Amino acid sequence: MNSAENFLQNKQLGDQPGKQASREPLAAGQEPLQQLLTRPDIWQLASGQRRPRTGISTGYRGLDALLTGHGWPRAATTELLIDKAGIGEMSLIIPALAELTRQGRMVVLVNPPHIPYAPALVQAGVQLEKLLILHPRGQRDQLWAAEQSLQSGACGALIQWQSRETPADKDLRRLQLAARDGDCLHFHFRPGSCAQTPSPAALRLQLKSDGEQLALHLFKQLSGKSGQRVHLARHPDLVRRDQPLH
Amino acid sequence: MLWLCIQLPKLPLEALTRAHRVTDNAAVGVVQNGLVVEANPAASAHNIEPGLSIATACAYCAELQLLERDPQREEQLLQQLAHWAYSFTPLVSPRSADNKQNPTEGNCACLYLEISGSLKAHHGLAPLLQQLGKELHKMRISHFMGLGHSPSAAHLLSQLPEHRQWLATAKTAPTPQQWRQWISFAPSKLLDCNHKAITRLYASGIKRVSQLLAIPLSEVGSRFGRGFIDYLARLNGTRPDPVPSYEPPAEFHSELFFPSPLDNSEQLLFPAGRLVRELSRQLQRRQLYSQQLCWVLDYGSRGEQSIHVEISRPLLDPQRLIALTKLQFERVELKEPVQALALKCQQLRPIESHSLREDFFDEGSKLHESYQLIDKLKARLGHQALSGVTLKESYLPEQAWQNADSLTLQSRARKHQLTPVNAPRPNWLLARPDPIQQRDHKLFYDGELHLLQGPERIDGYWWQHHRHARDYYIARGAQGSLYWVYQDLTSENWFLHGVYS
Repeated sequence: MNSAENFLQNKQLGDQPGKQASREPLAAGQEPLQQLLTRPDIWQLASGQRRPRTGISTGYRGLDALLTGHGWPRAATTELLIDKAGIGEMSLIIPALAELTRQGRMVVLVNPPHIPYAPALVQAGVQLEKLLILHPRGQRDQLWAAEQSLQSGACGALIQWQSRETPADKDLRRLQLAARDGDCLHFHFRPGSCAQTPSPAALRLQLKSDGEQLALHLFKQLSGKSGQRVHLARHPDLVRRDQPLH
Repeated sequence: MLWLCIQLPKLPLEALTRAHRVTDNAAVGVVQNGLVVEANPAASAHNIEPGLSIATACAYCAELQLLERDPQREEQLLQQLAHWAYSFTPLVSPRSADNKQNPTEGNCACLYLEISGSLKAHHGLAPLLQQLGKELHKMRISHFMGLGHSPSAAHLLSQLPEHRQWLATAKTAPTPQQWRQWISFAPSKLLDCNHKAITRLYASGIKRVSQLLAIPLSEVGSRFGRGFIDYLARLNGTRPDPVPSYEPPAEFHSELFFPSPLDNSEQLLFPAGRLVRELSRQLQRRQLYSQQLCWVLDYGSRGEQSIHVEISRPLLDPQRLIALTKLQFERVELKEPVQALALKCQQLRPIESHSLREDFFDEGSKLHESYQLIDKLKARLGHQALSGVTLKESYLPEQAWQNADSLTLQSRARKHQLTPVNAPRPNWLLARPDPIQQRDHKLFYDGELHLLQGPERIDGYWWQHHRHARDYYIARGAQGSLYWVYQDLTSENWFLHGVYS
């Protein structure tokens, strides 16, 4: 959040007590504090556990516990840094997507690397009618489509895969702002090499595989702790080992 | 019956210069057979009048722009005006100009409207006439009107200056005596018959219609023929006066012609906006909507280009339609200067009540936003960049899904629910199976693969010429990725088909 916005919010906060005081003089002392505490950019160390759920549940309890909103941050960008496909990166976000489609929100995939396979998505509980897949040509159209979809307010989530070109910091910031305006979850899959460059995302996760499980490393979390690691097991049906035939 | 005749004297000019902005003040003249037929105000200021020869006109005004008269475009414009008039009354009859013999003195095109049924809806005669005049003025169509008890009478009276003066201040429809007065008072040159007959009328000293009516009909008949008597009877109202009535087509077509071709797609936006507003007015009146706007850019002799704008929902708001069109036009590179821009909408559909109900009471607004977003994306990225997925019944994994072109977005209208196989399936399917290296009974795909589960045999389509027999396995790659791999049983080769991401 840049300084101008901060200033605006502060100003709004400054205005509020006056109005409150005129109506309810008794509660006036308490209200601004509550308001301050709900601000996303104020980090409270002590009450971390008691915080209400503001995010959208990831479907994994271990991960929810680490995230400040107890779920994917709403209306913000989440960056998922990944080098190798197939380690469970989609299974990580699919429970949240399924929940959103069930609520009737649209989910947009921009430039998925392969065909999203309908039977698997239905098994995971995704309503296919709410799924929109975009294949824009070129970086400019891609960013445009992502920004428009995020802004529209019609989408519940947008999942984007970085193409060969790395988007400029300015573009990432625009996407983050668009996600905030449209109240949309924004997942951005980027290669692990981007970990070193700064990014405006609210949450950055590095995804790796430790051989059996999906290993997550919380790289950055707005108004929360970062640096934790968590291991999530793959679906038992997938990793069950049969007697090898060959 | 109350018939209104709207005469359109400047139609030849307006059909060609409608695309001009009001501020354009180049002198323009329309020519036919070497004579000027019509001139715009800027040209009239240089004393250019209908009837001048081209050479004289050019001598008066050197910068005069000459355009060849185009009867086809005039006819189109007349049809559009009839369509416009249809929104006021169901009985409309367009009559095109008879420009065959003498371009300057023939009758001009006109519209007949039966307005006795529309008076109440428009709170009387004066507001209705005002409304008509205002809308014609907005369309920049010059006109004059006449009222009559029959189309022929209205046509005659529209040319009578005294009647037009009365009409400008009229509050109610006149009485039958007034009709008769005006008709008999009219000079006989206004009669709607050929020149020969009129010269003969004047030769026999009949200057006013009253003189003509005083003569016994049988004598008039023997001089001027049966057709003339028939016309007089229709004028008097003693015989019915049928006119062909106009039936609006269930499609929209409008075209703007640019006398000086446009070579920049941004310049197209202004005329496009005018066409879109015309369209949405008509759609609103007839409660129709269109699923597609088809723009045709006419490059004259060098062919034409069409651009389609898809609309997924009934949408009548001109601003939105223009915004969608703008997105498309931005991507267009004009190959040649554009000479005319046309907007076509085939298949106008009635707006159904159930689609409206959704808007008002359902989750409505969100759905509406989704459709807006989809339209916007379609307009800029093209139809093929958007897709959805659905299930399909098939044994073969690559055929168990399909592209859903038309995005339904609503889940209620589903008739038959397919259930997928109850076996772990990968989230990603490769569009084309990727061959896997095979060495010493080991599989390599970016490192060694270990098979975890399997086989799941899928054997189908042996009844067709191409048999698909495969054993599917779940395999783990060297870096922990889970893959869906299969061995083709006929060729014994291994392939990667999906990724459990």
